[in-house]
Amino acid sequence: MKILWTLLWKDLLTEWRSRDRLVAMLVFALLVVVVLYFAAPPGQGDTAREHIPGLLWVAYVFTIVLGLSRSFGMELENEALSGLALAPVDRGWIFLGKAGANLALVLIMQAVTAFAFALAFDLNLWPIALPLAAVAFLGAVGLCSLGTLFSAMAVRTTNREMILPLLMLPLMVPVVLGAVQATRGLIAEGTVPFSALQLLLVTDGVFLIVSFLGFEYVLDE
Amino acid sequence: MTTALLLVGCVAIWAFLAWDAPIDRYQGVIQKILYVHVPMAIGTYLGFVCTALGGALYLWKGDERWDRFALSSAEIGVLFAVLMLISGPIWAKGTWGKWWSWDLRLTVTLLLFFVYVAYLLLRSFTEGSERAARFAAVYGIAGIALIPLNYFAIKIAAGRSIHPENLGGDSLGAGMRWPFLMGMVAMVAVFAFLLVRRMEIGRLRAEQSRRRALAGREEAPWASS
Repeated sequence: MKILWTLLWKDLLTEWRSRDRLVAMLVFALLVVVVLYFAAPPGQGDTAREHIPGLLWVAYVFTIVLGLSRSFGMELENEALSGLALAPVDRGWIFLGKAGANLALVLIMQAVTAFAFALAFDLNLWPIALPLAAVAFLGAVGLCSLGTLFSAMAVRTTNREMILPLLMLPLMVPVVLGAVQATRGLIAEGTVPFSALQLLLVTDGVFLIVSFLGFEYVLDE
Repeated sequence: MTTALLLVGCVAIWAFLAWDAPIDRYQGVIQKILYVHVPMAIGTYLGFVCTALGGALYLWKGDERWDRFALSSAEIGVLFAVLMLISGPIWAKGTWGKWWSWDLRLTVTLLLFFVYVAYLLLRSFTEGSERAARFAAVYGIAGIALIPLNYFAIKIAAGRSIHPENLGGDSLGAGMRWPFLMGMVAMVAVFAFLLVRRMEIGRLRAEQSRRRALAGREEAPWASS
């Protein structure tokens, strides 16, 4: 289990020193917010505002796909990826270390993007800030676990930037739908529908188990 | 040759029964598309289940024959899915009045189609047959494991399904049961035939690349050291 904390610390320290991935994710997310504002301007009616949670999660998903594509890219330098594969530890812990570091970056991005969304779309998110953060966290856990697994595969392919979204998007649907439903419930009524919460929890559990077990087969020398 | 003749016979009986079946009172002649569409759907799901099964057995046993089984199943599954996704909207336009509906079953099947297209792309973008087989096996298993979750997710997002429920013997009109059953039999036979042929091509390709690698080593013995 020590490998988990070592990897987590290593990834976060590297990111703190370079800040390249986080800055790129934040700039991209803000650009998506601007594009979405002009593509789907918020109307005054309830129907027009119904789409806002979906747009927020579209921004999250695009940014997560972009950010995770670099997750294992840095491990290619100096054959660090081979070193990881040869480490005499359970590869599931390596997965959790990498996924944990990705999750930390994604949570920062989600907070900044939600703030930008609130300003752009004239939303008052303060009264629901805590439950919204919990929903964002649950969504991020699912997306980061599956994304980390696929990122480890994509880095070993010839078209890594192209294949990662193709692998991730069709399988991300349950998390995104659960998260959008939960966010919609929060913005409209201040409560999270139980079915959405149930879906998020079950999906997170399944994604974590599949990724933890599958990682054994995707890391190679 | 005998297998091919049997197959042609099977498909011919199916085509005859479908042609001969009575015309539906409400939907008219367009209902006959279902004699093609439903067996295609069976072939699609069979392909995807076999892909996941082959992948799991490959990871367990490490035998490349299971990988060939998985790859062949995925290719045939995608072919059937394309035919199903063409025949379905033609029927829907005539019956529902629109080409597509974001209905529970349609959406899950469409997503599954995208999963297996991504599966094939992953294989073609990965260098090294052993690595490609491993990655694809993991992805194929993840794809099939998520079907129940996709069902649940789209159910809460899209609500009630308008797609016809599973057709049982009693829900079909007189004379419609046999074309359906024959369609299933013919489609499973076509699936098995294509699977065996595609696996054979895979085996020959693997053998050819092994021979080439061996010939290369003999020509340049220093390269192997």
